[in-house]
Amino acid sequence: MSGDVSLVLPQTCLVVGSVLVWVLGRLLRTRNEALALLTGFIFAAALGLLSPVIRLTQAGVLPTWGHMGLGGAYLRADPGATMVASIALSLGALVAVYSGCYLSLDRRYETFYPLLLWLVTGLLGMVLAADLFNLYLFCELMSVAAYVLVAFRRGDDTAIEAGFKYLVMGSAGTVTMLLGISFVYRETGSILLLQPGTPTTWTRVGIACLLVGLAIKSAVVPLHSWLPDAHGRAPSSVSAMLSGIVVPSAFYVLLKVGLGLGLPAHELGTLLVAASLLGMTVGNGLALVQSHTKRLLAYSTIAQMAYVMFSVGIGLRFGVLAASQAGFFLLLAHAVMKALAFLCKGICHFYWGATTVEQLRGTAARLPSVAVAFAVALAGLAGVPPLAGFVGKWFVLIGTLQSAHILGYVGLTVFILNTLLALGYYLPVLGRLVMQPAAQSSGDAESPFELSPWMGVPVAILGGLVAAIGLHPAPWLNWSAQAGRFLGALGR
Amino acid sequence: MDANTLWLMTILGAPLLGAIVLVFLGRRGARAAGWIAAGAAAISLIAVLVLLPALEQGLTPSFGFQWIPATNIRLAMRLDWLGFPFVLTEAAVTLVALVYSWGYHHVDERSSYFYALLLLFAVGMSGTTLADATFLFYIFWELMLVASAVLIALWGEGEQRSAVTLKYFIFTHFGSLLVLVGLITLFNATGTDAFSALRAGVALAPNLVGPVIALFLIGFSVKMAIFPLHLWLPDAHTVAPMPVTIMLAAAMLSMGTYGVLRFPMGFFSRAEVTRFAVPMMVAGIVSEVYGALMALAAQDIKRIIAYSSVSQMGYILFGLGTLTYNGVIGATLHVIYHATVKALLFMCAGLVIRATKRRRIVELGGLLNAMPVVALCTGVGALAIAGTPPFSIFDSEWMIFSGGFHTAHIGLSTLTLFGSLFTVAYALWFVGRIFFGARPDGLTVDPVPLAMLAPTVFLALLSLIEGLVPAPVFAWVARELPLLLGGSW
Repeated sequence: MSGDVSLVLPQTCLVVGSVLVWVLGRLLRTRNEALALLTGFIFAAALGLLSPVIRLTQAGVLPTWGHMGLGGAYLRADPGATMVASIALSLGALVAVYSGCYLSLDRRYETFYPLLLWLVTGLLGMVLAADLFNLYLFCELMSVAAYVLVAFRRGDDTAIEAGFKYLVMGSAGTVTMLLGISFVYRETGSILLLQPGTPTTWTRVGIACLLVGLAIKSAVVPLHSWLPDAHGRAPSSVSAMLSGIVVPSAFYVLLKVGLGLGLPAHELGTLLVAASLLGMTVGNGLALVQSHTKRLLAYSTIAQMAYVMFSVGIGLRFGVLAASQAGFFLLLAHAVMKALAFLCKGICHFYWGATTVEQLRGTAARLPSVAVAFAVALAGLAGVPPLAGFVGKWFVLIGTLQSAHILGYVGLTVFILNTLLALGYYLPVLGRLVMQPAAQSSGDAESPFELSPWMGVPVAILGGLVAAIGLHPAPWLNWSAQAGRFLGALGR
Repeated sequence: MDANTLWLMTILGAPLLGAIVLVFLGRRGARAAGWIAAGAAAISLIAVLVLLPALEQGLTPSFGFQWIPATNIRLAMRLDWLGFPFVLTEAAVTLVALVYSWGYHHVDERSSYFYALLLLFAVGMSGTTLADATFLFYIFWELMLVASAVLIALWGEGEQRSAVTLKYFIFTHFGSLLVLVGLITLFNATGTDAFSALRAGVALAPNLVGPVIALFLIGFSVKMAIFPLHLWLPDAHTVAPMPVTIMLAAAMLSMGTYGVLRFPMGFFSRAEVTRFAVPMMVAGIVSEVYGALMALAAQDIKRIIAYSSVSQMGYILFGLGTLTYNGVIGATLHVIYHATVKALLFMCAGLVIRATKRRRIVELGGLLNAMPVVALCTGVGALAIAGTPPFSIFDSEWMIFSGGFHTAHIGLSTLTLFGSLFTVAYALWFVGRIFFGARPDGLTVDPVPLAMLAPTVFLALLSLIEGLVPAPVFAWVARELPLLLGGSW
């Protein structure tokens, strides 16, 4: 074992923390609020432990840890991976605090926090892994935690069904990945993520299997059918994690695996652009007909991930750094905005059981601050300036136009038409927030609710971030540029 | 930082601060909201007027600093002769609309937010005209849309307001996106988003020049509500609360004109724009005639005036399309004069609706004796919009037609001239039908608040004064021309 220990410290912190939380919750019957705060603290500590790695990658050094013959390593950090990992840890902390009130009506809260910690442990390991074996293991850890979290409210039939569907699809994905890994190993005798030389036919078959498996995980259309069920049925705090970072992290790993194993950048780029144009149209089109808020947001995730994919695809296909950069920026912005949207939806569900879009009526009268935060999230997703989503859209357009190629222009047209299509579902939700509640649901509905600070603080932080990223995008853009540059260097 | 820069910041800062104060006051400030908002708008208008001497001396008040250094995006504002007529119109219309809403709007617990949004709407418009960088321009451009859409969605009249807002938002956002693609192409070509770099000359690949100009023209035509991109306008104007309608029709439509002047005509050469001249003129004529015919056919009195805007924007686009000295001056004058007259007509319609509680023209009639002042003001508005001397619009139409006859397209210019007959038709029919003839049974007339009547009378007088003393406004507008089409006049 050698290398930079700070690469494994965050995961160690999370795993040790999960045991601690479980013991406190299960054996000492510690209260939900205390566990939430402790979990939030563990996430924050892990983020602190990761910060030396972030600084190193931003300085251009890619630290490694572990040894596995021929100069390989178990873990290797890069700017994109640290970006995804930091988002995951930050969202994890906020979701944990949010659960301090959100789970107060659940009885099995003590299992929620360890699962959340494992989810992020797996995610961190997956994006940092430098070999396919570790990547596979961590991916499974993340997925298993996610399956259980989706079905967390097991009293609800639909939750079990959604969790089961997610399990079946997800396992198909991981099995396909395993098959791909075995093809690559058989051909090259190595399971390192970075493989020199041109891939042979069998390696290409292996890469194809890996890409399909990861495409299922990142809900690339047409392999997306599990996502609306899983994200729509899971508790809102879990949906915030899944939509915000779990799906994007699988997409980031897809990029790294494809390029690292030697798939030419322009081929992967073309694939991504094609899949994304289909994905954004399908995602937005299906979101238009949804009546349940969370399903609507889930389809919007498919569309938004397709925007990310489109931008990165253009970047790889034409070697335009600005486009890859925009992709990473949008990934970050989407994580914040979508997590905020899900958390706001969760608050409405917690206080008056809102599940459909129609039931969001009167949010402004009942909880004005939540209505504002929800509106910020939706306006950001719709790309209204000066919020984070708009800045993302602006840079996507810049990158696409820099390609100066017919594929770029066609993609741009589809992208713009999709932006308009998306208004068709964001605006009605926004409208419901400010409308008066329907007559029959009144009664005690007129009295405003008291928003718990456990849920108010995370929502306020995320809302502030959506505005801050939009108004002061410079540091985030720099980080995205480094991630884009790393990806560009990885491709050949 | 000198005094001019501070005044420049005040144009935006006063309404922005007013809006923030109102939001924080919430329901506590409901009673004072109208006064606070009008005060902020008045300060903004004063700031515009204070900067006039500086402009006359040849100064261009401006400020700017880096915002996103990595990509050369700046936060910069600047007032020049091109922006001046627009920012003046916008500030004046806002003040008048706010005073009018003292009478129109019933104070309730949401009043603060109503006035705050009106101020934000105004910030969006003046920011659009003052922005000196593309990124900032687009932010204000969209703020204008967001604020007005929220106003229509929350305070609109009738059950259809959600659907109308959706239509309004999606239509105009479509235009905005076309403009956005154009802006970003310019940004990519120059590597900075400052307008100063664009003024120095746009180095665009030759095959991109045509498409970029087309994107701008189509995108801004949506905001101008040029046929067939006008579909959002009649609904939005009819449903919006009256102060918002006044600001939409009198100020926001002209932002489309500003966009055409600033981007295609401001940053490209005459040779590059010339090939779009005839399409612009044709679109102008079609809009002019179509709008007037639809105004004749419409039943709702707000809708009649709304279609009249489609028609009037047609004149403006025609004037711009002539690319002649007179035509472009006429178009810009028409922006100012049309703002006065259109605000006047909408205010009159608002007074009639307030007094009678009816808005279908067939249910109205014979109101001359009951509302003589309103009748007189409506008469002035109708004669003005029909282009009758000595009211203001006569001057601007004269210049537009004269510009048309300076081009080689005499046929098109003759068509525009005769197309204006339809304007006369709906204008006179509008007055005749409401104020003359027999009064229908059961039509009662309630008294109207002075706060609504006073600005109406003021605008009627203003449109007469503007027509009788056109020289100062002509002089201001003429000074924009060296900034257009590379100054080749």
